Amino acid sequence: METLEQIKARAEAAVPGAILGILLNSSPSAQHSLVVDNEHALAVAGFLRDDPQLRLDYLSNATGVDWLDREVKESNITRQVVDGVERDIEVTSVRVVPGYLEAVYHLYSMELRHGPVILRLRTGNRSDLVQIPSLTPLWRGAEFQEREIYDLYGIQFTGHPDLRRILMWDGFEDHPMRKDYVDPDDFEYEPTPHDEVLERAARHYPTTK
Amino acid sequence: MDEQLRHELGRQGIFVTTLEELYNWGRKNSLWPLGFGLACCAIEMIATSMARFDLARFGAEVFRPSPRQADLMIVAGTVTKKMAPQVVRLYNQMAEPKYVIAMGACAISGGPFKQGYNVLKGIDRYLPVDVHIPGCPPRPEALLDAFMALQQKIAQQSLTGEHRPRHLRADVPGEFPVPVFGAHDLQPPSNPQVWSAPQMRRGEGA
Amino acid sequence: MTSEQGPYLFLTLLGVAALLFALTPLALAWLWARVFSPAKPGLDKNSIYECGLESKGDAWVPFRSEYYLYAIIFLVLDVETLFLMPFAVSFSGLSTGAVLAMLVFLLLLVEGLVWAWGKGVLNWK
Repeated sequence: METLEQIKARAEAAVPGAILGILLNSSPSAQHSLVVDNEHALAVAGFLRDDPQLRLDYLSNATGVDWLDREVKESNITRQVVDGVERDIEVTSVRVVPGYLEAVYHLYSMELRHGPVILRLRTGNRSDLVQIPSLTPLWRGAEFQEREIYDLYGIQFTGHPDLRRILMWDGFEDHPMRKDYVDPDDFEYEPTPHDEVLERAARHYPTTK
Repeated sequence: MDEQLRHELGRQGIFVTTLEELYNWGRKNSLWPLGFGLACCAIEMIATSMARFDLARFGAEVFRPSPRQADLMIVAGTVTKKMAPQVVRLYNQMAEPKYVIAMGACAISGGPFKQGYNVLKGIDRYLPVDVHIPGCPPRPEALLDAFMALQQKIAQQSLTGEHRPRHLRADVPGEFPVPVFGAHDLQPPSNPQVWSAPQMRRGEGA
Repeated sequence: MTSEQGPYLFLTLLGVAALLFALTPLALAWLWARVFSPAKPGLDKNSIYECGLESKGDAWVPFRSEYYLYAIIFLVLDVETLFLMPFAVSFSGLSTGAVLAMLVFLLLLVEGLVWAWGKGVLNWK
């Protein structure tokens, strides 16, 4: 199979206006992924599926990731003239990177027997801009997995034929796999509480340490 | 009648019994379970009913597909919060007398999913459980042991008096409230009639 | 007991015994419920369906009248088997008239089948 850079270049040529990025994976698996902008996601995915050299006809897995807001510390060393002497001054700034939700698709080709190509779609933020296009029109296998992502992370898939909750009941309001999810406090006694459970135990049974 | 006379009569071929004993004997030897399984424990339950472990020895091989014909509910497996109302409703539809065996770690406490968001932390929050079996999953021998424990329990029940079992008392309800799906959890999260949070044994002294 | 009335008396006794055999357990159960075990009907317990989900609607559901077609087909094929079996067993010993009568009967049945076929009943929708 081609490298991810080649795929990116060809996809950008095939879909005018598409903004693709490559997210490097520094772990030993080195499964780098393509980050696609939402506007052209469907077209790019369609290209990946139908291109004769790629033929990624099988969506093996779709999953979600919740990225919280995070602070990035940046330090820049600048040369400035202070009191007539030229010095290196380190300026640290804290930048808040807004969080987002992410859907990750693993694509394989049954016909050409290669893969995976990993596709990432990101929402604007974690609260109201949570729409990303559904890939169910291209891979029918995405239907239930996108429903699961919607259920557990709250990503709204536009163009999904039947976007309902699949694991939790319909009246459920939370999205349990989000990192800021607080589960109902129905703690009961455990003989060996630890970590979070220890805190809960202390709250419910104040006499214990 | 004292035990010695009874024994002597038995040796002569005359069996003496009481209505209570006859009633309990009949009930304990024809416990028909409701045929349903929720997770992997159900496989062990099925194995128990098959030839090797042979639940039929205890008169309980007839797994009934309808709650109206079943005496015993074996809650075999993880009870998710989405499944809990259905389990309670099935229990309500069973005819009296009815018994519950909570089989496996999940059914008695939530098991490995205890800290999860979608699993009920034990069916005893909604139903009066007669026998709890720990294990993940419990072996068929453990289920047989639970059966025998339940049979002993039934054999000791009295027909009259203050301590007669639930199904013989008109003032105790035969149905338990079915929880409804709430916005964040089942409502109510437990039935205070049958369950209350366990008390911590280790106190300040520990 | 004379031999004239004997069979009838015996049958009557047998009938009464059979009735008692059926009614005694019911009466005992009724008595048991009266004395010991109180009935506990409830909304869930008396609901129509028993699949665990909330029951909706009524058990008295009207069936489509088109099901009579299936009844007719069943009659055609079932009655055919019922009469064809003895017909086949005693085929060689029958007179010409009997065989003809039987063939007429078969023709009537086949006519019903052809009618149903023509009506499109046999198509699985």
